[in-house]
Amino acid sequence: MLSKNKTGWLLLSPTIIILVLAGLVPFFYVLYVGFFQWNPLAVDPSLQFDGFASNYRRLIFDEIFLESIWRSIKFSVVTLSIELTLGFLLALSLLSSFPLKSFFRSVHTLPLVIAPIVVGSIFKLFTVQGLGPLPHILKDYFGYTLNYGLNAEQAFWMIVIMDVWHWTPFVTLTLLAGLSALPQDPYESAKIDGANNFQIFTYITIPMMVPVLIVVIFIRLMDSLKIVDEVWMLTGGGPGYATRFTGIHIWKEVFEKRYYGLGSAMSILYLYITIVICWVLYSVMVARGKNED
Amino acid sequence: MKKLLFALVASIFSFSAMAGGHADWFKEAGAPYKGTVLQGVAENTPPGQFAGEVLAKEFEKLTGIKVQLENTSWDQMYDKAIKDMEANSGIYDFVYIEQDIVYDYLNRDFLVNITEGLASNPSLQAPGVSLDDFTTFIDYFKDDTGDVFGVPMEAFIKVYLYRKDLFERADAKAAFRAQYGYGLSPATSFDQYRDNAEFFTHFCAEQGMECWGTTVQGHTGHPASTYEFLESIAPSFGLYNWGVNMDTYQSCVENGGQLNGGRAKAALNFWTQLLPFAPPEALQSTWSEVGSSFAAGRAAQGWVYGENAAWIATDAEKSAVVGNVGVMLPPTAPGVMTQAAAGNGYIGYYDGGAYGIPHSSKNKEATMLWLQFVAMNEHQADWAIAGGRITHKDTYADPKVMAVDEQADGYFTLMRDTGFLYAGAPPFPFHGAGRGAIDPFIYSALAGEMTPEEALDGACQALDTVMADLGYQN
Repeated sequence: MLSKNKTGWLLLSPTIIILVLAGLVPFFYVLYVGFFQWNPLAVDPSLQFDGFASNYRRLIFDEIFLESIWRSIKFSVVTLSIELTLGFLLALSLLSSFPLKSFFRSVHTLPLVIAPIVVGSIFKLFTVQGLGPLPHILKDYFGYTLNYGLNAEQAFWMIVIMDVWHWTPFVTLTLLAGLSALPQDPYESAKIDGANNFQIFTYITIPMMVPVLIVVIFIRLMDSLKIVDEVWMLTGGGPGYATRFTGIHIWKEVFEKRYYGLGSAMSILYLYITIVICWVLYSVMVARGKNED
Repeated sequence: MKKLLFALVASIFSFSAMAGGHADWFKEAGAPYKGTVLQGVAENTPPGQFAGEVLAKEFEKLTGIKVQLENTSWDQMYDKAIKDMEANSGIYDFVYIEQDIVYDYLNRDFLVNITEGLASNPSLQAPGVSLDDFTTFIDYFKDDTGDVFGVPMEAFIKVYLYRKDLFERADAKAAFRAQYGYGLSPATSFDQYRDNAEFFTHFCAEQGMECWGTTVQGHTGHPASTYEFLESIAPSFGLYNWGVNMDTYQSCVENGGQLNGGRAKAALNFWTQLLPFAPPEALQSTWSEVGSSFAAGRAAQGWVYGENAAWIATDAEKSAVVGNVGVMLPPTAPGVMTQAAAGNGYIGYYDGGAYGIPHSSKNKEATMLWLQFVAMNEHQADWAIAGGRITHKDTYADPKVMAVDEQADGYFTLMRDTGFLYAGAPPFPFHGAGRGAIDPFIYSALAGEMTPEEALDGACQALDTVMADLGYQN
């Protein structure tokens, strides 16, 4: 038994070592740095202890940081809602047969294999004023001026569209896998009982899909809360603060302005907020699932 | 590309000529380091491409030392270089030091003292290479004692470019005079600049041409716009050193600074009011896009970095305005030129950079050889032609450079004769943090979310907070 345990630990040890080195050590280091004032551009570039949690106190009153969090949450809610709706519809469509279905599925999946920074570049090339085709088309055929360098609303929604384009296929594929694995008995019973399609969808499909939905929502929620690359490429966080999501804000504070201490505190606080949001969401969904059972 | 190939061929001839002279020395000096791979990171500019694609190959042929130069975007270059030097990881053997960041690097002791390094190891001193051959631009890379920490590889000024073909059109001249009551000519004052911009925007539209009155480097999410304002527009209005009081490190007027003063507000108003006359891509344009827009013939005039001026004026493969480019000093407010000439101010940015060796480099001696190779007189002319940069005094007189100078409407002559009117960035060790504090306000002013007055009031407060935070105001 002891020998079996030893073998187990031996086999697990590389993973544990990597997790500790790549996950826990940096986390605790960031946690530690977050308690100090530290900017290597300062007259005194060393770590300065400025009272326990002074960075955190400062962040509570930092409007720009708080606005970036609100912007990130708003962005996540909007993109998640659209991606879930679209993804579910597409997954349901892909369950049925139609001509060129395989071709459609392959093409639809393509955005998933593209790196976020490339997605940002593609959208930039398509949408940049004066040179990209989209502003021309919108102006010439619909009389609509697209200039997200000037218009904060457009910039925000352009990022939403980009994220939806990039990640809806992931939602579709995951939900499709879930839908394909659902047992057929409840559907047959419902049909015998005279339920219509909407009732079947609402009372059978959705409840049975809750575990899959939880997984999709969590993965996409966490991903969208930490969006950086695509935004960096497309708008750089502008115009003004319009697309300065928390990830971008932290990057600018840490790597442009070199506020290592404050930036670390921001990271920890944002991680905490992300965990709280996920936990609340998880609790609500699990509770609802239990009630419906 | 053709130009780079030409430069390559020309360089081969130059190096052949060098063979009788210093080539043998480099071969001998490089022998102990044969097989070494030097890693470098720099901004992807025309001069950087020449270094990576031409000089590095020649150096490898001579010495057997391979130079892998990673020419990347401006943001990535800083990100990679600084992270490497902070972590002391030794990934890079040489890094690009932009003139405005050198005070930060020196303050943080990132760089090897090249003067000292060569003095303590005379066997590494290449014959025929002298730091005295450089223009005064090398002074930016010296410490208080005069020791050199970076070997300049590019230096250029930001000039006023205009389309001669448009300004010389008879119908344009007549229409301009009818509308404004004076003759059409390249701008020497801000009012004239604005009139030109407005006029050509309408004129081009009437003629069915895809062109506008002026460039604006106005990206609303990239520091390029802050740089255009602080380093080009503001100084030409007489606002120097970002409006920071250099004794007290305060920038708001109420504390003795100038960043939200009359000159600054006039400058930002002038600049943001040019936007209706700029190509639609202006709000997503950094220095690269401004160069490309002008080269595509999409602007009648503009402030353009000199590294782009030469190719815009001469490279028909990349530029649609070859033969039609005029080069002048940018317009200035009354008194600014006099102040600049007396050394009490400047009219714009003397930009450029150097290659330096981080302390963390694992191949310092081989890199010393590479940096001296870069500093040799023999290939400066070809480099100047390929990249519009000049770092050596003698390069101006080179026949090849003079020929290009003629094609480029005297850009090199202008740089030689008026370079002293320009200046590098102010000596702020907190450069990145300070600029980062100002950025969002400039973006907001450009996007129309704030008035120029509001933006500058906010910017000076943010900058003062940073300078106080970092301990400079004490």
